Amino acid sequence: MNWRGGWALVKRSWSSWLQYRSFFFVLAFGWMIPPLIYLFVWSTAAQSGTVGGMTPAEFVAYYLVLILVNQLTYAQTNWTVGDVIRAGDLNAWLLRPLPPLFHTLSAEIAGKVVMMAFVIPAALILALVLRPTLNATPLQVVLFVPALMLAWLLRFFWGYWLACLAFWATRADALLAVQDALVFLLSGVVAPIGLLPPFMQVAARVLPFYYMVGFPVEVLTGHLNIADLLSGFVIQAAWTIIAIFLYCRLWRAGLLRYAAVGG
Amino acid sequence: MRYLRLIKYFMLSSAQEDLAYRANFFIGLLHSLLNLIAGVLGLAVLFGQVETLNGWSFAATLALLGVYLVVSALRGLFIGPSLEALAGMEGDIWSGRFDFALLRPIDTQFLVSLRQWRWFALIDLALGVGVLSVAVTQLGQALSVGQVSAFLCTMFASVAVLYAILLIFTALVFWGPGMLFTWVFDAIFQLARYPIGVYPGWLQFALTWIIPVAVLTTIPAQALTGDITPGVLIVSVALATLLLIGASVLFRVGLRRYKSASS
Repeated sequence: MNWRGGWALVKRSWSSWLQYRSFFFVLAFGWMIPPLIYLFVWSTAAQSGTVGGMTPAEFVAYYLVLILVNQLTYAQTNWTVGDVIRAGDLNAWLLRPLPPLFHTLSAEIAGKVVMMAFVIPAALILALVLRPTLNATPLQVVLFVPALMLAWLLRFFWGYWLACLAFWATRADALLAVQDALVFLLSGVVAPIGLLPPFMQVAARVLPFYYMVGFPVEVLTGHLNIADLLSGFVIQAAWTIIAIFLYCRLWRAGLLRYAAVGG
Repeated sequence: MRYLRLIKYFMLSSAQEDLAYRANFFIGLLHSLLNLIAGVLGLAVLFGQVETLNGWSFAATLALLGVYLVVSALRGLFIGPSLEALAGMEGDIWSGRFDFALLRPIDTQFLVSLRQWRWFALIDLALGVGVLSVAVTQLGQALSVGQVSAFLCTMFASVAVLYAILLIFTALVFWGPGMLFTWVFDAIFQLARYPIGVYPGWLQFALTWIIPVAVLTTIPAQALTGDITPGVLIVSVALATLLLIGASVLFRVGLRRYKSASS
C-alpha cells in the first residue's frame, strides 16, 4: 500500500473540490430536503401526542441525526466510478502506482469534508429552531460509532460493486435508480422502520438498506433493546462482508474484461 | 398564428431527437414508475399511522401528489428542457451559441421558453393524471362545475408561477452562475409534495410569499377538494400574472447585459 501517494491524492482532490464548494453546498442542500420534509410531516402528524410511540420532538431528533448520517454515508462514488469506467478515464487510474481504490477514497473523503462544512451548521441551526429531545445513554453514544462506521463501509462498497457493473452494461444507472428508491422507502427516510406496514418492515430488516442509514440513527436515538442491537450489528456486518466480497470479485473480473474507450 | 406554427416545428424536431434514443424510453419509464411508487407508498405508510394530517385526508393528500406529478411533468415536458438548453451546463449562454438565438426574427423569450420538448415526460403526465383521477374517486364526492373550473384556474396559475420562477432563475445567469439558483429551487420544489400546512409557521410564510410553492400544489389540491375561498383563487391568479410580468421584465433587462461568450 502506497499511503504517501494516497494521502497526496486526498489532498489534491480536497483542494480541487473546495473550488467548487458552492456546487457541493447546493448538492448537500438537495440531499437534506427529503429527510427534512418527513421531519415536518411526522412531527405534524404526532402533534396531538405520539405516533408509533414517538413524540414530535423525538421525530425531530431522529431526522436531524438521519440527515447527518445520510450525508456521511452517502455513496457518491456510486455514480462517479461508473462514469469513469464508461468514459475510459479509468486508464489514467490504472497507470498510477497506487490502487485505484485510493481514487474513490480520496474523492469520498474530500467530498464528505466539503459537505460537512455545510451540513453540520445547517443541522445545528435546525436543532436550535426545532428543539429535539435526545436522551441518548452513554452506551448508545459508544455503539453509535461502530454502527456509523459499518454503515459507511457497507454503503461505500455496496455502491462500488454496483458501479462495477458498468464493465458489462452501459446502462447500470437504471439499477442505481432502483436502489435509490429502495433506500428512500426501506432505510428509514420515509419513516422510522418501526412505523412501516408489516411486509415492508420485514423487507427493511432483511435487506441491506436499513443498515446503511436507519440503523445507526436508531442506535443513537431509538429504544432498541439488546436483542435488536445484536441482530442489527450481525446483519450489518454480514452485508458489509458480502458487499466487500462482491466488490473484489466484480472489480477483478471487470478489469480482465476492460477494454478502454478513448485515449 | 406564426408562433403557433413555430411551436409545432419545435415539437416535431424535438420528437425526432428523442426518437433517436429509443432505449431511453424504458429508462424513463422505470424512473417515472419508481417515482410514483415511492410517492404513493410514502403516503400509504403515513396514513397507515394517522387518519388525517393537519386536516388533510388520505384522498386529499393523494390529490395533492397528483397535482405535484402533473406540474412537474409539464415542467419536464418543455419548460425545463428549454431553459436548460439556454442556461444549463454547456447551454447556449455558456457556449456562445446564444448569439444565433438572438439573431432569429422572433421574440427571444418565446424562443428560449418553448424550443426544446422532452416527449418522454408524457409518461409522467399520464401517471400524474392517473393519480389525480384515483384521488378524485377516493374523495367520494361528485365534483361540481365550480370546483372543476376553480381547479383548472389554479392549475394554470400553478404552471404559470412555476414557469415564472424558473425564468427568473434562468435570467440570473446573465449576472452570475444562474444554474445554481435553479438547483436550489429544485430542492425547495420537493417541499410541494406535501400540503404547506405541515411546515412550521416561518417556513409556511417563506413558501407562500418569497418562493410561492404553496400556489404550485396546495392551492390546486384545495380547489379540487372544495376547500378554497374565492379570495385565494383571485390572489393566486393575480400572483401568477404579476410574477409572469416580473420575470419577463427581468429577462429583458438581463438580455441587455448579455455579451457574447464566443470569439
